[in-house]
Amino acid sequence: MTKKNKISGSQILLETLIAEGVDTLFGYPGGQIMPVYDKMYEYGDKLRHVLVRHEQGAIHAAQGYARAKGFPGTVIVTSGPGATNVITGVADAMVDSTPVVVIAGQVNTSLLGTDAFQETDLMGLTNPITKWSYQIRRPEDIVWAVSRAYYIASTGRPGPVVLDLTKDAQVGLAEFQYEKCEFIRSYQPKFNADEAKLRQAAKMIDQSKRPFVLCGQGVILSGAEKELAAFLEKGCIPVGSTLLGLSAVASDNPHYKGMLGMHGNIAANIMSQEADVILAVGMRFDDRVTGNLSNYCRDARIIHVDIDPSELGKNVPIDLGVHGDAKQVLARLTELISRQDRTEWLQRDVRFNQVEQEKVIIPETCPNCGKINPGEVVAMVAEVSGNDAIILTDVGQNQMIGARYSRFKNSRSFISSGGLGTMGFGIPATIGAKIGAPERKVCLFVGDGGFQMTLQELGTIMQEQVGVKIVLLNNNWLGNVRQWQELFFGERYSQTRMINPDFEKIAEAYGIEHVLVEEREQLRPAVEKMLADDKPFILDVHINEENMVFPMVPPGKSVSEIMLNNEEWFE
Amino acid sequence: MEKEKLYIITAYTENQVGLLSTVAGMFTRRSINIDTLRVMASTIPGVHKFTVKTRTTESKVKSIVLNMEKKVDVIKAFYYVDNENSMHEIEEVASFLQARENNK
Repeated sequence: MTKKNKISGSQILLETLIAEGVDTLFGYPGGQIMPVYDKMYEYGDKLRHVLVRHEQGAIHAAQGYARAKGFPGTVIVTSGPGATNVITGVADAMVDSTPVVVIAGQVNTSLLGTDAFQETDLMGLTNPITKWSYQIRRPEDIVWAVSRAYYIASTGRPGPVVLDLTKDAQVGLAEFQYEKCEFIRSYQPKFNADEAKLRQAAKMIDQSKRPFVLCGQGVILSGAEKELAAFLEKGCIPVGSTLLGLSAVASDNPHYKGMLGMHGNIAANIMSQEADVILAVGMRFDDRVTGNLSNYCRDARIIHVDIDPSELGKNVPIDLGVHGDAKQVLARLTELISRQDRTEWLQRDVRFNQVEQEKVIIPETCPNCGKINPGEVVAMVAEVSGNDAIILTDVGQNQMIGARYSRFKNSRSFISSGGLGTMGFGIPATIGAKIGAPERKVCLFVGDGGFQMTLQELGTIMQEQVGVKIVLLNNNWLGNVRQWQELFFGERYSQTRMINPDFEKIAEAYGIEHVLVEEREQLRPAVEKMLADDKPFILDVHINEENMVFPMVPPGKSVSEIMLNNEEWFE
Repeated sequence: MEKEKLYIITAYTENQVGLLSTVAGMFTRRSINIDTLRVMASTIPGVHKFTVKTRTTESKVKSIVLNMEKKVDVIKAFYYVDNENSMHEIEEVASFLQARENNK
């Protein structure tokens, strides 16, 4: 091998990324990653680089991209502060099972451990919050590590991978020969579910009068939407969805009973309590879904299906754990169960829906007077977009209202920070989602708090002309905390009032079209204008400041103890 | 209240930098003290063995073992009540690795 045939580690990295199918990098340059950025200068036609305004924006954009596209998002940052700025997003991707690969620069191998300029122990910092993290110290190891990173991030239960790339590995020379990673002996992402357990599950379902399915994001991640719909149809079985499972089942599917949990639909929560068999697929019984565990699904035998065996029985005692892939398990279960008519049980939600309509939905979405409610805005966007947009939310009231009043036709249409609840996720994730799914309308609901956590990414929108639609639900409060202060902390509004800037001027500074809506009759024309084209847009809606999200299962209560408003409980 | 007992946890792993802190971190996160820890080569070439003795509850031990196995570079992990016979595990690891190679 002569020196002539060798190329730099930086070039090996870019060639390997292209071979892995990467088309977009979300990043920010800096000292210890400069050799890669220098080589990138020649790769502009093959790799699009999106220059964010803060590294946190890069990781959230990569998450949005991954969730919209179903392909790992890629982040490239420098060492030290560049790397530590992505950590919130790495933790978020870990708990929400989002495939992302972070490539961070690192100081020269000879300087490791010396507190060199911009050196941090990135492996030590990210180990507990990644699926895999690895420090690359030689150019010869780049193909191996990068290909392995994409394999690990995207298979099994997906998650984040961090690669720490020393500067000498970037500038050193090595031969490039791409080899795709498809096997790691200590890592078994595919697992065929045990046939005896599947038969047992089918028998439990067949014997059940009131079976109920809990659909989690695992259904989307394994591409099991059709299999789930066929299973529900054959068994005549109702289903509720977790926050991250939203859009796996179409909103108008007659088997769909709504969202589970704290601010979920009454029908979904009550029916999960009344069920005699629960089939939980690709979900993890988060405390926001279960409420008080000692009263959760007490009359039901629980079957839990997950690709991650450490989830089986973790929070809720289960009767049968099935370790396997949702798509394969649901397809086989559909074959095994008998066709049954459970119409009466399937229509059990009629009364619950009537109560929710009358006490919650109509007052929220069709008030006759007063300030605009956030639910009106979300419902209007759903209607005008024909339920066809990808909906993102930030975290808080905007998230719960966005989830409750959006309607979904297609899968992969709801993106939000679930497990970590990261405020500031919204704007950058929306940028990534639009880049990952450019043919779709992509719309964000964000509060004035979360908007200001990452509003510098408006600069990214301006520079890249990303056609995102940002709906700012502006109430001049940190609304969700304010709601809890009103309900559970004696109306002591500690540090939740926001004095906000003039968002119109901010939008103008970034050259993004901005429309302010303060009156009800302005709302429809503004939403129609926003969704008419594919340009960046900020719809700034001044909403009812005291609005609260209902129904609500208060913390510590069982999911059948539901507040309908300040005064009434569901009976 | 679940009863605490003395447990032995063993993990068979690839020889990768940083695994010791990963393993130790799992105990730290759950506020469990490690009584003894041994890291050594196993009888399978290239495979390392961690042995941890700790006093805790079975549900915590189970959770640690399952989360250890989730780590990419951990091949298999086991737990026993102290003094229980653990002679079969090396054969189980060897046959697991053989099966993985056969399915490659």
